[in-house]
Amino acid sequence: MTGDVSALASGGCHIFSGCGFPAPGLQDFEWKPLFSIGSFDFTKPMLLAILAALVVIVFFWVAFRSPKLVPRGMQNLGELAILAVRDQILRPSLGRKGDSYLPFLVSLFFFIYIMNVMELIPLLQFPVTSRIGFVWPLVFIVYFLYLYLGVKNQGAWGYLRNMIPPGVPAPIYIILVPVELLRFFVFQPFTLGVRLFGNMFAGHLLLTIFTLASWYLLSLSVGLVYAAGSFALAIFVFLLETLVTLLQAFIFTTLTATYIASSVEPAH
Amino acid sequence: MSSGNDASTQAQKRAAAEGRAQGLDIGWTVFSYLLAGMAAYGAIGWLIGRAVHVSLLFPIGMLVGLAISIGFIIYRYGGQGAVTRPSSRGNAKGDDR
Repeated sequence: MTGDVSALASGGCHIFSGCGFPAPGLQDFEWKPLFSIGSFDFTKPMLLAILAALVVIVFFWVAFRSPKLVPRGMQNLGELAILAVRDQILRPSLGRKGDSYLPFLVSLFFFIYIMNVMELIPLLQFPVTSRIGFVWPLVFIVYFLYLYLGVKNQGAWGYLRNMIPPGVPAPIYIILVPVELLRFFVFQPFTLGVRLFGNMFAGHLLLTIFTLASWYLLSLSVGLVYAAGSFALAIFVFLLETLVTLLQAFIFTTLTATYIASSVEPAH
Repeated sequence: MSSGNDASTQAQKRAAAEGRAQGLDIGWTVFSYLLAGMAAYGAIGWLIGRAVHVSLLFPIGMLVGLAISIGFIIYRYGGQGAVTRPSSRGNAKGDDR
């Protein structure tokens, strides 16, 4: 995190003290390396991404290391988590036939959710997915699977042909080709990644703005009223973000499930 | 009696979840179509405009692309299409759940 914010947080920089409000911005998403190996810098978001993966792995390993027919303790929680993804995300798009993709979708959903929710956990307080570099590999994995399954199930030519629904007149078909190609290979993956990144980026920025403003406005003056207002908004945004973190993981995974469904069986 | 109600509630929940997934899919596909139409025909217009030295072809291409996208969205998802599409998928999955 940059000097501006830490200076504000540690010092006595308040309204009317003449120091000015150091507005949060892109610099708050840049991190100093925790350590470096040669030219490779290891930063906090990387640590949090590894932590998120470990949380998912350890949770499901502990829950299902010795599964019982009648679940108890962590197994209950694990089954609840898996059933939630199965019934709310996988089955609505893929049906019962798609159950083989459940491990992938469960891992994807909880990995994204844990990375998102880190925004709200004290000390961690940074959503990994607000760095777009962590989102593109997920989009790449999803798209690779999407294309692979499509080509495997429909053949390369059939897959390309099925992008445009049957019954479209030949001249219209030609007109639609550039639109379909660009949509499929550029804008669909772009919107998949940018939506997750954008929501988490904006949410973190809002939280930072209102939290810092509450501290900055805090003084024995009219600023106290503004500080209270800003603090109330910070709480509101915090509550909103508890929903957004879950919703974004849900949307990303649901769209992945619908993409897989359209690859396995083309829409008519 | 209560098991019948449970089954009906389950079916309603399943239908709601299917509708949600379809809605998300269609919503973001439509958004992608709008962007793709403008970008594809904007690029074609820009290339032709560059060749014939008429810079106006770039915005015209974008508008044409937008019109093509909107037309196709209406054709694919509008009216009857939006109603039949989810059910066709539902049939494809079968009732084996």
